[in-house]
Amino acid sequence: MAFVKSEKTPDRPAPLSERSVTGWMRKNLFNSWFNSILTVGTLLLIYFIVKGIWDWGFADATFMAENRRECFDNSLTGACWAGVIDWLDNIFYGRYPRDQIWRIHYGGLMLVLWMAPLWMERVKGKVLIAAGVVVFYPFLSGYLFAGGDKGVFMQLMVTGAVVALIANTANMITGLLKQESLKGFLLRVSGQTIAPDKTQRNILLAITGCAFAAAFIWQMNWRVDAVPWTKWGGLFLTMVISGIGIASSLPGGIILALGRRSKLTVIRVLCVSFIEVFRSVPLITVLFMATTMFPLFMDEGFVLNKLTQVIIAVVLFNACYMAETVRAGLQAIPKGQYEGAHTIGLGYWRMMGLVIMPQALKHMIPNIVGSFIGLLKDTTLVSIIGLFDILGMLRSISKDVPWLGLHKEPLIFGAMLFFILCFLMSKYSRYLEVKLSAGNRH
Amino acid sequence: MTGTRPQGQLASAASSEVIIEIDKMNKWYGAFHVLKDIDLIVRKGERIVVCGPSGSGKSTLIRCINALEEHQEGDIVVDGIKMGKNLKNLDHIRTEVGMVFQNFNLFPHMTILENLTLGPIWVRKMSRADAVETAMTYLERVKIPEQAGKYPGQLSGGQQQRVAIARSLCMNPKIILFDEPTSALDPEMIKEVLDVMVELADTGMTMIVVTHEMGFAKTIADQVIFMDQGDIVEQNEPAGFFENPQHDRTKLFLSQIL
Repeated sequence: MAFVKSEKTPDRPAPLSERSVTGWMRKNLFNSWFNSILTVGTLLLIYFIVKGIWDWGFADATFMAENRRECFDNSLTGACWAGVIDWLDNIFYGRYPRDQIWRIHYGGLMLVLWMAPLWMERVKGKVLIAAGVVVFYPFLSGYLFAGGDKGVFMQLMVTGAVVALIANTANMITGLLKQESLKGFLLRVSGQTIAPDKTQRNILLAITGCAFAAAFIWQMNWRVDAVPWTKWGGLFLTMVISGIGIASSLPGGIILALGRRSKLTVIRVLCVSFIEVFRSVPLITVLFMATTMFPLFMDEGFVLNKLTQVIIAVVLFNACYMAETVRAGLQAIPKGQYEGAHTIGLGYWRMMGLVIMPQALKHMIPNIVGSFIGLLKDTTLVSIIGLFDILGMLRSISKDVPWLGLHKEPLIFGAMLFFILCFLMSKYSRYLEVKLSAGNRH
Repeated sequence: MTGTRPQGQLASAASSEVIIEIDKMNKWYGAFHVLKDIDLIVRKGERIVVCGPSGSGKSTLIRCINALEEHQEGDIVVDGIKMGKNLKNLDHIRTEVGMVFQNFNLFPHMTILENLTLGPIWVRKMSRADAVETAMTYLERVKIPEQAGKYPGQLSGGQQQRVAIARSLCMNPKIILFDEPTSALDPEMIKEVLDVMVELADTGMTMIVVTHEMGFAKTIADQVIFMDQGDIVEQNEPAGFFENPQHDRTKLFLSQIL
């Protein structure tokens, strides 16, 4: 029997169970007597847990007290947050001189100012901005935090950093106002937009040179008091170590991963052994090696401070993990992409930088951020070798006379702090993933 | 078959200038002898179609011309440059020889326009404005200028392959190699790609095409090469090749696919 449909079947609304809250609950929570019992039981459990936390942490807690005795007088079953509040400055800044804390704040603000253009749609040249942060910011903030006399190298790097920061900020402003790069703006103002490349380059070089000279003269008179690294501590120290670790482990990992895939046997063997050695040793061992063994191998009189050694160890350790993450990402790129890049004549570095890495890094974001989160948490290990990072500070509260024996509250506070930091990072990575894959549906 | 144009064979644009010369070239994959004593001369403007059963070494042959594969014996001279270990030479050859792949191999993280301007800007050192202008010219030639801002993943297979052809053209190459350009396409898209290739042949571009599209071969080829098990078994002008094949294996192959 032949059949021809004469008209289009109209769309009908979905059944009630798909649309209403009660319908959803009936389908997902109470669809059998066993599931109903589970639902009710779980709700009760959640209630008791939340109530317990609420009573201990808020209802019965003491926020204002001079010492632990007063806390107990107030309530025996509640938390004693007063100790944590009393120590907040120490938790955040360690034993950094209290009248110098503005330096830490300025350093943080500078980082925000420097990195802000990375999130601005209208400002171009993101790779250059990021490179500027990674290369120059550590020197500027490093001097700001440590202070004291600058050597020649430090003077040059601080000058470079100041110029880079000013150029970066100017670039942000021209980008936001006129949507043009600083380079375009300078050329337009000097009336050389259509001049030959060489003239343009000379003009830009001249401007950079003047800025560099001015900044150099300025920084000769800029001096802040020395704060020895032993006074650094708390969240500040954790941020310094993990910040440097995060910023340099990715470039280091990329270099190691490329080395591991190199056709040159020497480079490959070197990279493979380096990666495997560091990966098969626990971080705490590497830290002990860096602080106790490393000075033994050096010439007498060669002194690196403990903090520098720890940072180097953390960077190398994490670069090796990152190298494996990057290698995995590189393996996900089909051979055709390499061949496509070859056929338009791109050499190795351009092929990697323009075609392969951008795609590979996109695949790797979840793993990279995972490593970063791990790194942030791992830095607490430095408290074992005698640096007073945030964990070290939290634990010393219980040794402070007024708060003797106060263990629980500081550690819970620390856990919350870490949770916030790590959760933000992981949320941001998720957002990046979605954003970057938007235009890229295979 | 698709791609055949009613007016029949294109006039040959071949000159006497030799642009590719392959002399006693041999290649092995491990112990497997893929290409055996290959001799081939391609003149400027010549259009060569390579056919043969799968595994006969035809793709490997053209990949050797572009230095995507290394050969172990014999010489390949492209545009006066002898292929060897010298990486600078390799990059030069790759710049002068375009290639279009079965799987397009467009860069998925870039827009169509960025795909097209990447080589001109970074390799040919063109200014961005010039590169964009060239790219739009070629996008118009392959009839999809309106897709410039999209990503490869948003295009159909036929459109992607046309973009890939335009990407090769943007580098202004002396030779373009096609490695089964229509084999990964849905039937209704084969024609649009072949039409673009026929137009390209019209402009006098030197082309070496590995394909199973025999109608297309009859239309554009100056020479048809039949390969089997690493040998060039038969080489002739299309009329002679299709009407009067000499070798038994050629006859068998043609009887199977026509």
